Amino acid sequence: MHGFRARQGRFVARVDEGERAVVASVVADVLELLGAPRPDEEPAAADRVADVPTRDGGLPHLRSDTPAAPDDPAVRRLLPDASRDDPAVAAEFRRLTEDDLRAQKVDRLEKLWHALTAPGGGRRRDELVVRAQDAPAVAGALTDLRLVLAERLGVHTDAEADAMYAVLGEPSPGVPAARGDHETRRYLVSVYGALTWLQESLVVLMLADARQARRTHDDHPPGPPGTGDVPGSG
Amino acid sequence: MVGVPVQTTPDERVEAVEETALGDPWVTIVWNDPVNLMSYVTYVFESYFGHPHATAEKLMRQVHEEGRAVVSTGVLESMEVDVQAMHGFGLWATLQRSGQ
Repeated sequence: MHGFRARQGRFVARVDEGERAVVASVVADVLELLGAPRPDEEPAAADRVADVPTRDGGLPHLRSDTPAAPDDPAVRRLLPDASRDDPAVAAEFRRLTEDDLRAQKVDRLEKLWHALTAPGGGRRRDELVVRAQDAPAVAGALTDLRLVLAERLGVHTDAEADAMYAVLGEPSPGVPAARGDHETRRYLVSVYGALTWLQESLVVLMLADARQARRTHDDHPPGPPGTGDVPGSG
Repeated sequence: MVGVPVQTTPDERVEAVEETALGDPWVTIVWNDPVNLMSYVTYVFESYFGHPHATAEKLMRQVHEEGRAVVSTGVLESMEVDVQAMHGFGLWATLQRSGQ
């Protein structure tokens, strides 16, 4: 895996076939958690599709019932409570926003899944090419994947986040029963670490882009022609 | 955010918010969490609230070091929009009456 680099207005990372399969399967897991169909399975029973909130189904969004807060802490982190001490405020917020928020997250995860499983647009097969305007959605989807992985790893504090990487340097336990857990944890931590690194490389470019756009705007403020050429204005 | 052992569960002690503009009845609070990258939180504050980079970074540091920061103030409907946007980005935000 190579982190994102800027190339002709687009952001390009290199993710090989094996890495794509790993990340795509996490994407599919998170889609399933959000109640969407897994993109790596054939369209299943119609009742499953019916679970997916959709904004373009032709029906207006007029939810009158209040959705219950998700039981799974990972899902609850993706669709969090908007108040910690006022259940009425939290419930009303959920009623107003949860369907849209869920749909937003499902949509960008599906796009990421397709980008990972149908590579194209780059010079090489392993290139993952993201247009600048799609970068926020990709960064958001990567955040959601990392939020779910961290919840599954029991990481709730900054200290726990720092400490989790220790498992990568630990030898596998001799007891076969413990070995499975150890290997699973190691796998999840390594995926989390790779996604963190990938996201960081993308966000650094997004920040640089935003700064560049602001500078260009400052150098060429709206106004009569020529005012943008004043030296030293930036 | 990684680096400081701050409990990420929203803090029990929520003091009065000094930054609240007079008459703004609600505030949006962003809480620290161990997953979101400092760079990403800065990006969110820059791109969504339109803060200059230095302001966004200062606000990000406040979230990181103090465990939370007030990121906007206003009427309930506006705060609901901001909280939903923060949740869209994957940040953990809540709304509450100002001064609580």
